[in-house]
Amino acid sequence: MSHAELTLGEVGVAGEARPYGFRTKKLVMWLFIIADAATFGAILFAYGYVRVGSADWSRPFTFVPTIRNGIVMTFVLLTSSLTMLRAVRAAMAGRVGMAVRWLGATILLGAAFAGLHLREWFAMIAEGWSLTRNPLGGSPLFGAAFFGITGLHLLHVIAGVVAISVVTILFRRGRLDASYIETTGLYWHFVDLVWMFVFPLVYLMNVR
Amino acid sequence: MSGTAERTAPSGSVAETGPGFRLYVLVWAGLMCIVVVEVLLTYAGLTAPALLLALLSLAFIEAALALLYFMHLRYERPILFWSLIPALVFVLVLFDHLWPDAFRLTSMRLPVSTSTTPRGGTP
Repeated sequence: MSHAELTLGEVGVAGEARPYGFRTKKLVMWLFIIADAATFGAILFAYGYVRVGSADWSRPFTFVPTIRNGIVMTFVLLTSSLTMLRAVRAAMAGRVGMAVRWLGATILLGAAFAGLHLREWFAMIAEGWSLTRNPLGGSPLFGAAFFGITGLHLLHVIAGVVAISVVTILFRRGRLDASYIETTGLYWHFVDLVWMFVFPLVYLMNVR
Repeated sequence: MSGTAERTAPSGSVAETGPGFRLYVLVWAGLMCIVVVEVLLTYAGLTAPALLLALLSLAFIEAALALLYFMHLRYERPILFWSLIPALVFVLVLFDHLWPDAFRLTSMRLPVSTSTTPRGGTP
């Protein structure tokens, strides 16, 4: 291993050993992910609290269109994780063109997920749902919980699409190296991971 | 920075030395199968607590698969796992102190069939 590789990989600038064996930005992303996981944990616990504490909790979802749409959204998001893994692998191997193409596929799938989500939101809003209104006459907290949790996740998806787009452009121009793709990929997989809790708890547990 | 060699990550990155892509596809297929099982369980007529337990268990299996393989936690140094995951589990366990209060609310509800007249007010 050359001195340059040692500087980038196993030891820091001051020469001290890196306990985790990777660059600081990747550790920072992991710390962000853990903090964000606690945030999503808190909001899901709050959802559980208001659901248990509400006598007239609504269960409005039917298989068509809501659950079917949720399955498609899950498929799209999981597949985007796969294309992200492809992009990271290609970037690590120095295959810039292929990495950019897989990153483009990830961006498209992320945008498709956001589009499907927004379509569902607009349909619910047209039925009379809002943060404070429940057209079924049950607890108005349903709307607050549903739009709050899925909105926070959707915000993460949109932020991820923007972040991947920026990293892709800068990587293509040669201003970022492959480790940035890997770090962005960690964030994208985390967004996928959160959906694995949101879909069963917020959608499947509210089936009519 | 311009050359291909300069764009690659430091040698030894787990994203480079990790599992083959076939394993990723298998994990992806496994995750999709779990989602299908979740949907089938939802329509299997389970009680709400049983369904919640089943869905949460499957969600944790999905999360573990994503963490270990997609996020490469299995291929990183063990110190990363021990630095992060126990702290998160500790926080999530601390959140559980709210449940007694949530269930207390259920015993504080007024019967639905009682008079709508405000207490102390005139009908």
